Amino acid sequence: MRRVSNFLFPALCGLCTLLACAVFLGLVFVIAQRGLPAMSWTFITEQIRQVGAEGGIFYNLVGTLILITAALLVSAPIAVGLALTHAVYLRNAAAKSRLGLFLYTLNGIPSIVFGIFGFIVFVNYFGWGKSWLTGGILLAIMILPTVTVALIERIKALPAKYVEAATGLGLRRSQIICSVILPQSWGGLITGSLLGLARAAGETAPIMFTATIFAGATLPHGVRESPVLSLPYHIFILAQDSFDPAVGAKLWGSALVLLALVFALSVVALPFRLRMHVEAHG
Amino acid sequence: MISARSSLPLALRARAPSLTKSASFVFSGLAAFALAALTLIFLVQSLPVWGQEGLGYITGTKWFYRANLFGALPMIYGTVVVALIALLLAAPIGIGAAVFTSEFLPQRMRLAVKITIELLAGVPSVVYGLLGILFLRNWIYDLFARFEPLSGDTLLTAGVLLGVMILPTVMTLADDALRGVPADQRRAARSLGLNATETVLGISLPQAKRGLIAALLLGLGRALGETIAVYLVVGRQDNNLPQNIFSVRAWLEAGQTLSTKLGGSETNIAYGGSLHWAAMVGLALILMAMVLAVTIAGAWQRRTHDAASL
Amino acid sequence: MKISTSVFALLAFASFAQADVLKINGSTTVNLPAAEGAEILRAEKKMDITVDTQGGSSGGISALGDGQVQIGMSSKPVSDDDRAKYPKVKFNPIHIGEDAVAMIVSKDVWDGGLQALTKQQTQDLYEGKVKNWKEVGGPDERVVFFNKEPGRGTWEVFAHWAYGDPKKAPQVSLPEVGGNEETRNKVGSTRGAISQLSSSWADGKKVFALGVKTESGEVLQPTPDNIATHKYPMSRPLFLITNGEPQGEAKTFLDFMLSPQGQELVKKHGYLALDQLKTGSP
Repeated sequence: MRRVSNFLFPALCGLCTLLACAVFLGLVFVIAQRGLPAMSWTFITEQIRQVGAEGGIFYNLVGTLILITAALLVSAPIAVGLALTHAVYLRNAAAKSRLGLFLYTLNGIPSIVFGIFGFIVFVNYFGWGKSWLTGGILLAIMILPTVTVALIERIKALPAKYVEAATGLGLRRSQIICSVILPQSWGGLITGSLLGLARAAGETAPIMFTATIFAGATLPHGVRESPVLSLPYHIFILAQDSFDPAVGAKLWGSALVLLALVFALSVVALPFRLRMHVEAHG
Repeated sequence: MISARSSLPLALRARAPSLTKSASFVFSGLAAFALAALTLIFLVQSLPVWGQEGLGYITGTKWFYRANLFGALPMIYGTVVVALIALLLAAPIGIGAAVFTSEFLPQRMRLAVKITIELLAGVPSVVYGLLGILFLRNWIYDLFARFEPLSGDTLLTAGVLLGVMILPTVMTLADDALRGVPADQRRAARSLGLNATETVLGISLPQAKRGLIAALLLGLGRALGETIAVYLVVGRQDNNLPQNIFSVRAWLEAGQTLSTKLGGSETNIAYGGSLHWAAMVGLALILMAMVLAVTIAGAWQRRTHDAASL
Repeated sequence: MKISTSVFALLAFASFAQADVLKINGSTTVNLPAAEGAEILRAEKKMDITVDTQGGSSGGISALGDGQVQIGMSSKPVSDDDRAKYPKVKFNPIHIGEDAVAMIVSKDVWDGGLQALTKQQTQDLYEGKVKNWKEVGGPDERVVFFNKEPGRGTWEVFAHWAYGDPKKAPQVSLPEVGGNEETRNKVGSTRGAISQLSSSWADGKKVFALGVKTESGEVLQPTPDNIATHKYPMSRPLFLITNGEPQGEAKTFLDFMLSPQGQELVKKHGYLALDQLKTGSP
């Protein structure tokens, strides 16, 4: 009996693992199979024509890149500030855990809630209309916990002797931060940012009321009334409203490009993430 | 040198906070301000509907915006059911897979699986929605034909799709929780003659219980808030509360969740300071409250479990 | 600190800088020829035009009323309520073509013998009084009514025909569909399904357009003839709406859409051009 259960249990768990991996492979296979026919150099470098039936997705890709770059630029300084506050400036454990709770909470807020918030504040109250910057700001808030936590973990993992040596040399705390802690924990910022951007690139809900439109935008000019095109919104609209059967392969092609972008960002972060993982757990 | 510094009188040591310190605090404050502003704005903008309907807003079962009737219960029900179905799927599979990778797999294969799951976690929700529209809803429609669903757009379809979406979250966090159980606990068990299965069931899982519960709660939080994928396959039918919520047929009904209502066309129609708009913002508030409750419960679990966490 | 001040200054300046763009928003039906027209003008005359479909026809009218766009696209007339909501706005709807809304059904219903409905039957189906197709002359199959979501011009045209006034339409709780593709997709893949759709989208393969059976028993199909002569009751005008007389870039766009080239676009997407309405011939 023991022997049977000693075989069955791992087998069952193995089945679960297999299932999880199979889902992933199946998903990628289906999208690749349907999206590859649409892939060509022109698909990526041309813009939409005939409302999605012809042409390529150039400006959608550009728009998504603009959004995630803006998200990066807005979130990075705030993440550094939060990480330093947590890891260096806050002394007592209660304050630290409150900050940790804040990040945890922020991370759980649904993306549609950010979209509504942005709609109220930026689109209407500030009067910006749809703007790439609003999208960048909202996405930045969304990925803030990811970036911050990665940086905090990295700072915590710094060998104590670095800081001790710097203090011994007479450096002030701000100098220690700027010349020792920050340069050494760069990897954490990069990892966190890449992971955050991978998530931000695929988000639709925060940007659909605030930053993106389906057709007509190229590059933004200024901040007000400057929406961008984007890959996830493009796919979302085409899935409900594709205007032509000819759109079919283009829809999958867009999905494939978005998936490739997200995977590329995740994969680049992987070595950092795995290394950090190992260091943290020993 | 160090001892000389620390023996300096307080007056000499105290000086204006450095640029880095102020900048850090300002930026941290900015983030906190954003969250506070968000909550406050939602509270203020939704006041009219609370005044008008009071508690009936949450318990009311009919939402007809043209008649100024705003009851959110069917949507709360939809949100909860869809998230629970997702959890019912993701919990066993996620924990099972986590057990397998952390307890039974060799190092190399563990890495391969971890990478696969990391990538799966990154798949955007709109892509899931696409696959849901084109495949999942037809599968469910055919698979459950016996129970005569109206169409492939059901709470079950949305729940299954969500289950796949939160699977990586549950699995990764469960894996973390299991790895957190000290190795010597397992060694002790093995030396007492327990086999691998018994060790896992008797030692690893119970020891990791808190972390596992936290993993499930975090997955639940994600499932409650998901919009786009659910929007495309849930049917978006209002006021569809079933007679018997524990039957299979109830799950095969089309429904509406808080997030799908917010992501739909009514948001654009409602804007303008009317009661309708207050009702919409109220939905966002309810959703936030639900997710917050689950998230904080998860954080509390994690905190008492792992002293080394944030 | 210096960086943040200059960023704030830049943002403040940018939010005042006016973007000189022609903005168009509204109905997904009118979007088809309008967006393609925008593409052509962008390529030929280097005009900066953005086209969005937030909120459908109602969204287009609201956006024009709020001053967010210069042209609103609508597939329904501007109502008295709209005019009352925006008393300062001089809604000027310019007719650019005609379309029709049809009740569409899935293949099994069509093949099962149901090819037309009376107004009363349609009301009963909408209100859930008729639950099985055999009660109205169709196959023995449950009725699944997918309702167009609120705000869509398609729904308003339907409600106008079925109940005389969208406001008189009873409150129902039916599963909703949004865009044309979603409607066609879901009706086509569900047994016993019916919904409202632009007649040019009924391809006769996946979904089928029902005729309207009048009191006298005459069946009116949504053919170009019937639509042009307004014999078919659910025809709807396609409007580009401006605030007052169109000026500048808006005038250029409207002139283009009314020109032979623009009207060709209207025809190309399955709608009736203005000249077809006068003569009643395809």
